Formats: sequence, structure tokens, C-alpha cells
Amino acid sequence: MKSVPDRVVKTLEKKGLTGIAVTLEEESLCLKGMVKNHDDWLKAGYTAAAFPCREVINDLAIQGLEPEKDRLPALSDSLLEGRHFDAVVIGGGVIGCAAARELTRWDISVALLEKDGDVSCHASGRNDGMVHPGFAAHPGTKKATYNVRGNKLYTRVSEDLGVPLVRCGSMLLLKNPLYILLIPYFFLRARQNGVEGCRFIERRKVFQLEKQVTRKQWGAFSFPTAGVMSPYRTAIAYAENAVQNGAEVFLDTRVRGFRLEPSKPGKTRLTAVETNRGTFTASVVINAAGIWADRIAQYAGDRFFSLHYRKGVDCILDKKTGALQQRATGMPELFQLRAKTKGGGIVPTTEGNLLIGPTAEEIPYREEYSTSQTDIDALMSRLNLNRALKKEDIITYFAGVRACTWKEDFIIEPSRKVDNLIHAAGIQSPGFASAPAIAEDVAAFAVEALKLQRTVMENRCFNPRREAPVNPRNLSPQERTKLIQSDPAYGRVICRCEGVSEGEVRDALRSSVPAMTLDGIKRRTRAGMGRCHGGFCTPRILEIMSAELKEPMERLTKRGAGSLFFTGLTKETEPKKAVKGGEA
Amino acid sequence: MMNPKEWDVLVVGAGPAGLAAALAAHNKGASTAIIEREDRPGGILKQCIHDGFGLVRFGEKLTGPEYAFRDIRRIEEKKIPVFTETYLEKSEILGGGFGLHLVNNRAGVFTLRSKALVFATGCRERTARQVFIHGTRPSGIWTAGLAQYFINIQGYMPCRRCVILGSGDIGLIMARRLTLEGAEVEGVYEVLPEPSGLTRNVVQCLEDYAIPLHLSSTVTRVHGEDRVEGVTVSAVDAQRRPVPGTERYVECDCLILSVGLIPENEGPEALGTPLDRLTGGPIIDQRYMSTALAGLFSCGNALHVSDLVDYVSETGHSAGEAAAVYALGKSTKPSRKLVPLRPGNNVRYTVPQYVDVSLPGTVTLFFRSSRTLEHARATLSSGETTVLKKTFPVLRPPEMERLEFQVPENGLEDALVLHITGREEKG
Ligand SMILES: Cc1cc2nc3c(=O)[nH]c(=O)nc-3n(C[C@H](O)[C@H](O)[C@H](O)COP(=O)(O)OP(=O)(O)OC[C@H]3O[C@@H](n4cnc5c(N)ncnc54)[C@H](O)[C@@H]3O)c2cc1C
Ligand SMILES: Cc1cc2nc3c(=O)[nH]c(=O)nc-3n(C[C@H](O)[C@H](O)[C@H](O)COP(=O)(O)OP(=O)(O)OC[C@H]3O[C@@H](n4cnc5c(N)ncnc54)[C@H](O)[C@@H]3O)c2cc1C
Repeated sequence: MKSVPDRVVKTLEKKGLTGIAVTLEEESLCLKGMVKNHDDWLKAGYTAAAFPCREVINDLAIQGLEPEKDRLPALSDSLLEGRHFDAVVIGGGVIGCAAARELTRWDISVALLEKDGDVSCHASGRNDGMVHPGFAAHPGTKKATYNVRGNKLYTRVSEDLGVPLVRCGSMLLLKNPLYILLIPYFFLRARQNGVEGCRFIERRKVFQLEKQVTRKQWGAFSFPTAGVMSPYRTAIAYAENAVQNGAEVFLDTRVRGFRLEPSKPGKTRLTAVETNRGTFTASVVINAAGIWADRIAQYAGDRFFSLHYRKGVDCILDKKTGALQQRATGMPELFQLRAKTKGGGIVPTTEGNLLIGPTAEEIPYREEYSTSQTDIDALMSRLNLNRALKKEDIITYFAGVRACTWKEDFIIEPSRKVDNLIHAAGIQSPGFASAPAIAEDVAAFAVEALKLQRTVMENRCFNPRREAPVNPRNLSPQERTKLIQSDPAYGRVICRCEGVSEGEVRDALRSSVPAMTLDGIKRRTRAGMGRCHGGFCTPRILEIMSAELKEPMERLTKRGAGSLFFTGLTKETEPKKAVKGGEA
Repeated sequence: MMNPKEWDVLVVGAGPAGLAAALAAHNKGASTAIIEREDRPGGILKQCIHDGFGLVRFGEKLTGPEYAFRDIRRIEEKKIPVFTETYLEKSEILGGGFGLHLVNNRAGVFTLRSKALVFATGCRERTARQVFIHGTRPSGIWTAGLAQYFINIQGYMPCRRCVILGSGDIGLIMARRLTLEGAEVEGVYEVLPEPSGLTRNVVQCLEDYAIPLHLSSTVTRVHGEDRVEGVTVSAVDAQRRPVPGTERYVECDCLILSVGLIPENEGPEALGTPLDRLTGGPIIDQRYMSTALAGLFSCGNALHVSDLVDYVSETGHSAGEAAAVYALGKSTKPSRKLVPLRPGNNVRYTVPQYVDVSLPGTVTLFFRSSRTLEHARATLSSGETTVLKKTFPVLRPPEMERLEFQVPENGLEDALVLHITGREEKG
């Protein structure tokens, strides 16, 4: 019989993809050569993934494609030079933040490294926040098991971290009366995945539950365990709780290489981590770098997979629409049930808005968050899952990119090659829903690796409860008045759409993982996220930031690096400030 | 400050509309107070340091702050309380009147009650997302009003070289302001075939400074990762769709938007008052009272976006007087007889949307034409009866017009409709 690489080459040729070299590397299929376009690149990757192999490394070049701009952190110093951490987590997404927090259950030193100016500004800050029930993934996949476990764990996590979880439930609406025939198959899959409480709801009853639901539904399969949470608040809360339990978070800190030494035959050990803020030693390292996880694996000489990038766009609707729908709804095409993403639909948020989306589109770049009319048109077609929604209800939209392996499953395992490296890679959807479970496991792997080097004790002082900043709107009128009397800043409401006070903005700037940018404040407080989109509160927030961070207004940024607000002073302020400066 | 258990009239918003409403209500003998979320009264006028305000009302060219100050001084003289930095969390219908749940940094959480409630909450600006501008989302995309605040109030420059999208008045004013501050305005792009701001502003703010105005064009994409690096502009067809092949890349560090104002009516909406989709404001009768909820009044830009502050003050004054009359009136509610007033041919909208024909007297009607017409004849009729006729040398959509008519003594049965005929403007 022919070897797998030969068979892959044959199949690729049959599909018109010639000149591709296929080799087997560490049980993964590696593709090299050149393809005409991004579609062919995808076709080649997926074709290879259908063969028996550990993973696919798609190193095909795409003709004429400009390489992605490398956005290096502006910062360069020696803050970390010479330090040592027992455990280092790379990536401040929800996976990294949760893993760091789980690691603080042990009496070890923990560092969380994030290359950008805040945690949770990539996939984890750009998703739907659905705590999926765990039905969509194939039985037996890591996605299915971690999702179902994560879903259950979130009840506790939500309480501990003080981030609200709303178990709103979700309904898969049947588009076609014939789909009713699939219900036994749905029940079977739910049982295989361990999803509890599923029910079939007939058409009439669906109208009773969701008054505004589309008339074109033929009943629904319902998942009462489905919930929603604010994904970025969850990630930030995990990071804050990690810091409260002794971890250190380093922002603007990008890992750019490792130092390795040989250990057992054919194996290595990671000794040091190189960053733009210095090189330091580490006993164990967790790769939670999201869309860059293959790059981190490469630094460690363990690149047995590569990623492709699937963009998703969502629209956010005005809070006025929040009352129009309680549950998440979706109406996937039959064939999409087996496809790579859930069809998308309408998702409530814990803050009372509705989300429409996400779309799914493969793109050739990793951090490419632009949106186009095509995306919006695609989302418009989903508005009519609810009869009461209008285009004018859209207040904004955003894009995120899912990090997908070619096998389309999570990689959650200790490296086979590097003794003290753990991968949490390819964490695409339902990665948010799975995060608590993934974090438990990667932390356990890390501790196992550590235990081979030294004794590891539990952290007796670990407190799972995050000290959360006050939310005056959750207090009774009497409590709130008392709070305001003790600190009037909580009585100065500066964000008119979301009702956020100056006190809350100040708290965000002083929290254990403080906001350094306007977007950071937005994610922590919601100021500027309402219908006017910062039109009124931005100037006021900048003044508070300037005072708290002790930075002049001209140096404040939207989201770090060069995203400045101002180019300078006006003619009138210029001389005044100059004179003041001169006299001082 | 002594607070009555229940105020006759509470006014939300201390912009020119709210100030005029409060003064008028007070002068009619009603106990009146104003709620304002900012730290000073004056509304958006605080940041409008250019002149041109007050020509109709005072026969003078004042700056925004000067105009506002005239009303603020009178409010102070009459000792009408203004609750500043006070945030309205929720309003509800309480007994025969209203209850406002408020928060501020002095009293904490508290409630004020009133018999009549006037919303003079102004408007907010439409954002880039709401006009569906695509591409990346770097720093440097501001609405014109925000840029105005940065420059005029905070003293910071938001850009060196910018593109302005939309030819609304604030955008035009900002084109001049930025130029005076030494920034370069590459051009103003307007999706419509004619400017949406006042002619006076096109001349004084663009032509006098040789800033090009590109009509029937738009911005289709924003470029740049951290800060805006450029935008793609292109021509649009009659359906406002970009014409392929006309795209042009413009280097700039900022995109300023003047793409429309949205009346702020979350308060009235939460109380169950329907909004007119044409104006974005509550549906009202000639007393500026909601047709759905007696005792709730609306005025100024919250009612419909005005291009002249003088008209804003006028609607405020009328709404305030009517609110006082309502609050001080006998508890028996007057029975209203509402007849709709509808926009007909060539009319974009009319305010009020209903006329209470049980009330005698003069009705003030505001309207905008839906296109530019010369020698325009406006006809207001109800069934066979013609109520009013008037000719205008020219009517333009950016310019709001004002008419007055009398409700015939024997009342009216059929809906009132305003039609306009006229000649299409020659290029
Ligand atoms: C549109 C959309 C909708 C989605 N909806 C859902 C949903 O409803 N439910 C759900 O469960 N999942 C959803 N997902 C998936 C979910 O968002 C992801 O699975 C999850 O956020 C992945 O988290 P992460 O921590 O792995 O990645 P990320 O959040 O991307 O974090 C990785 C971090 O690593 C950092 N990093 C990378 N390289 C380096 C380096 N060299 N040095 C230092 N730091 C580095 C990055 O800056 C980044 O912050 C959705 C995804 C998208 C795009
Ligand atoms: C950015 C901008 C620039 C403008 N520039 C010009 C110009 O150059 N020339 C011109 O003629 N017209 C201009 N206009 C039009 C101008 O808005 C009107 O002329 C006039 O100022 C509107 O008055 P108003 O009282 O209706 O609203 P505003 O002046 O907007 O006042 C509304 C007030 O209500 C307060 N308020 C709103 N909601 C609440 C609440 N829930 N609780 C408490 N208080 C609340 C606000 O803080 C504000 O003080 C501009 C408008 C805007 C938005």
C-alpha cells in the first residue's frame, strides 16, 4: 500500500492542486510548495486533514499574498530580565487568564504574559459569550467534552468571580418540517455528548415561549443549560483573581523565543523565555497564545500543527431590543449541523443587548478585524429570526478571528517533545464555553510537570472569590446613597447611555489588572458601549485617565501603541501651557 | 433648596429648549425645576463658540455661550432650581403625574414628582457604525460634535489632516474650525447630491477657505491599524451605492463624521410614548403634548432636529407654557379632539403630528421639504377645506420652515395634509 503522504499528493492532484510536497513529520502531515490563492490553500489543508494523521502543518505559500504586518510592541525594557517564575502562561485570552488563576491554587510563582496593552483584546474580547450547551461538537471530540464540562463549571465560576451568568437557554429552530425526522438523532447526540435537559418543542409552543420568533420555524430543539456571559469580563475577572492570589500579569510583553536544552534522548527542556522586556527562567510554560499558538510551538521546536483563521462578525443591537427575546436562537441549515461553525443567530447578552451573529469566513491573516458590507448583509438576513428587530437597532458591530487547527479540534496536551511545555491551542468556538475545564486541565498538566522537578504545595491562602469593584446599579437605593455619601464619585454619572459613574471608571484604572487604555475602561465598565458610542463620555473619561495614570492627555491611547487621541494642543492652549511650563 | 412634595413642572435638560421651557412655566406661575446631567446648563451651545445664534429671537449675532447665557441669567434671577450633574435613571407614571428617579453626587438616589414633565433632552450624533463605514477601526474616527468638544472645551487637536464625511452644519463649522487651528481639511464628502447643511455655512465655512465639497460621494473604507492612516472615498449613484472604479485613496489621520443627529428620547419611549419615525421625536399636538400620554411634553432637538437655536427656544417656550397650564388646570382632563396633520407631496415631515381642534387659537407648524423647490406653494387642507396657502421663493430640505394657522371655529373633521408644489431648481 502507498504511504499516506503519497495518497495525499494523489488526492490533491485529482483536485487540481499540483506541485505540493507532502511529508510526514512527527506523525503530522506537512504541506510545502505554492498555491494560486487562499481557496486552494484551504482546500489543500482540509484535504490533508481528512487522512489519518496527528495534525496538518500547512506551509504552502499563497501566490501574491502580502505577508501579515508584524506589530511589535512599542515598549522595550528589562523589567523581567533575570527573574524566575515557576509557571509562565503565554497569552492573556480567557484560556490564559483562567489557566493563570487555576495555577494560583498552588504555592508557586505564576506570570501571565500578554503582548498587547490589555488582556482579552483578541478572540476572547470579540465573541458572542455563549456558554454553549455542548451539542454542536462531534461526540468524542475534545470540543464536545470540554464544552460540556466547562458549561457545568461556569455556575461556580460565575459566582466566584462575580461575573453574571444567565442561563437563558437556547433553541435550535427547525427550518423545514422534514427536520422533525432528525429529532431522534438530536437526542442521541445530546446523550452521547452528555448534554442534559434537551427537549423538542413544537411549533405552537415555540411561539408562546418567544413571542417574536420568525413564523418560518417548524418547532425547536431546546437546550436549557445554554447560557450567556460577558466574555471579556470573564477573562478580566479571571486575571484579577489570579493577581489577587499572587500571580503577576505583564502587559505589552511579547514572547519572541525560548532557550532550550536537551533532556532525554530526542527531547528537550525549556529553560528560559525571551521577551521584549527581558529574558527570564521558567520551570513550566503554558502556550495559550490563541491565533499565534503555532508560532509559540515553533519557538519551542514543537510545531506539529498550524492554524487557519476564521473570521466572525457580530452586530450589537440597542438595549431597547433586549426585551424582545429571552433565549438564544439559531436556525442552521441541515448540512451546517456538521459544518465547522454553529450557524449563528440571535444571542442575548447579560447586559441586555442582543447580538446577531457570528458569521464565518476564512481569511489569510491572523489579526485582521476589518468588516465589510458583505458581512453586514449576511447578518441582516438573520435579523428576521425575530420579527420585531430592525436594521436601525444596530448600534455597532465587531469582528473576531477563531484559531482553528486543520483537524478542527482543540489541542490540549503536554508537549510530546518539550518536557515542560503545555499546549492549549486551536481553541476556536466553543473555546469560551470550555475555558474553565481547559484551564483546570492545563494547570494540572503544568503542576504534574513541576512535580517532577520539585515538591509543589497547595496555596493555603487561595481565595476563589474575586474582590470585584462595586457596581452601584446593583445596590439598593439606600445602599447606593450611602456609597455616594462616602464617595461622591459614585454619584457622578459620566456615561449617559450605560449610567456608569466616575467612581467606576476610577476603579477600573486602579483594579488588580488595571485598564491602561480607553478600550480597557470600556471593557471593564461598559462606559462608551451604549448607543451614543462614547460621543459624550469620551472627553470626561480621558480627563479621569489622565489624572489617574498621571499621563498628559496627548499620550493617552484607545488601545495601546500608536492609537493616540490627539496630535497636540490647540493654538489657544499651546501658549498658555508653554508659559506655565516656563515659569515652573 | 426647599423641594415641594410635587412640582408642577419638571424639565429634563438645561439646553436652550429646557431653559426656555422652565422660564415659561415659571412665568405662568407653576413651581418648576430643571434636571441636567452635565455640570452646567447651556446644553450643546456651551461648545458652539462660533457666532450666528439668535438672529431671529434677538436680532443679533451671538455665539452659542452668549445665547445660552441670556437664558441662564434669567433662570438665576428667577431662582428656578437647576439640579446639575443629576442623572435620570428611570421615570414612571405615578398617580396622576410622574416620578423621576434620580442620582447625583450630593443627595445620592432620590425621587422627584411632578404633574407635568417636559423632555428637552436634545440629540446625539449618529456614529460611524450607524452609517456602516467599514474597514479597520483605529483611533481617529470622531463625530463632529466630539471633535468640537476636544478643540473648544478641552483645547486638544484631534488631527493634522482630516476628511469630513457628511455636510451637516456641525461638520461644516468644524471644517472651518480645524482649518483655523492649522489642520488641513482634505475635503468634505456628502452622499447626497446637495449639501445637508445651511447655504450660509457652505459659503462661510467651506468656500471662504477653499475646502472642496464633493457631492454624491462617500467614504467606503477606513485604513490604519492604530491610528487612521487613510480612507477610501468613492462616488455614489442615485441609490447611494458606491460606483465601482471611482475609488480613491486619501491619506489622512482622522475621519470626522457629520452624518446626522438622533433625538434622544429614551425617557419618553420608556414611558410608552410612541415616536414619529420621520422626526425621531414623540408624536405631539400643537401644545407639544404627547398624544399618547397626557402631561408629557417635548421640545427642542429632542422633538425634531432644528437648524436654528431660535426655533428650539420657541418650542421650549411654548411647551413650558402649555405644561404649566396643564399642571395648574383643574384635575378634570380636557377631552382632546385630535386630528392628524400629515406630510403630503414634497414634504419630509411636519410638527406637530396632530392638532387638538377642541383648542382655539393659533397653531405653529414646522416642516421640511423633501427636495429643493423654487416658487414653492404650500397648501394646508383638510378634506375640501383649504386652511392655509403660502408661497416661498425657495424651499430646501436643510432649512426648516415655519407656518401659522388658525383652527377654524367650527373645528375640523378630516386629517390636515400639507402639500407643496414648485419648480425643481435649475443647476
Ligand atoms: C466571532 C466569534 C464568536 C465566538 N463565539 C463564541 C461563543 O459564543 N462561545 C464560545 O464558547 N466561543 C466562541 N468563540 C470562540 C472563543 O472566542 C475562543 O475560543 C476563545 O476566546 C479563545 O481564547 P484564547 O485565550 O485561546 O485566545 P485569545 O483570546 O485570542 O488569546 C490569546 C492571547 O495570546 C496573546 N499572544 C499571542 N502571541 C503572544 C506572544 N508571542 N506573547 C504574548 N502574548 C501573545 C494574544 O495577544 C491574545 O491576547 C467565538 C469566536 C469568534 C471569533
Ligand atoms: C454637536 C452639536 C453642534 C451644534 N452646533 C450648532 C451650531 O453651530 N449652530 C446651530 O444653530 N445649532 C447647532 N446645533 C444644534 C443645536 O443642538 C440646537 O441649536 C440647540 O442647541 C438644541 O437645544 P436643545 O435644548 O434642544 O438641546 P441641547 O442643547 O442638546 O440640550 C439638551 C440638554 O439636555 C441634557 N439632557 C439630555 N438628556 C438628559 C437626561 N436624561 N437627564 C438630564 N439631562 C439630560 C443634556 O445634557 C443637555 O444639556 C448643534 C448640535 C449639536 C449636537
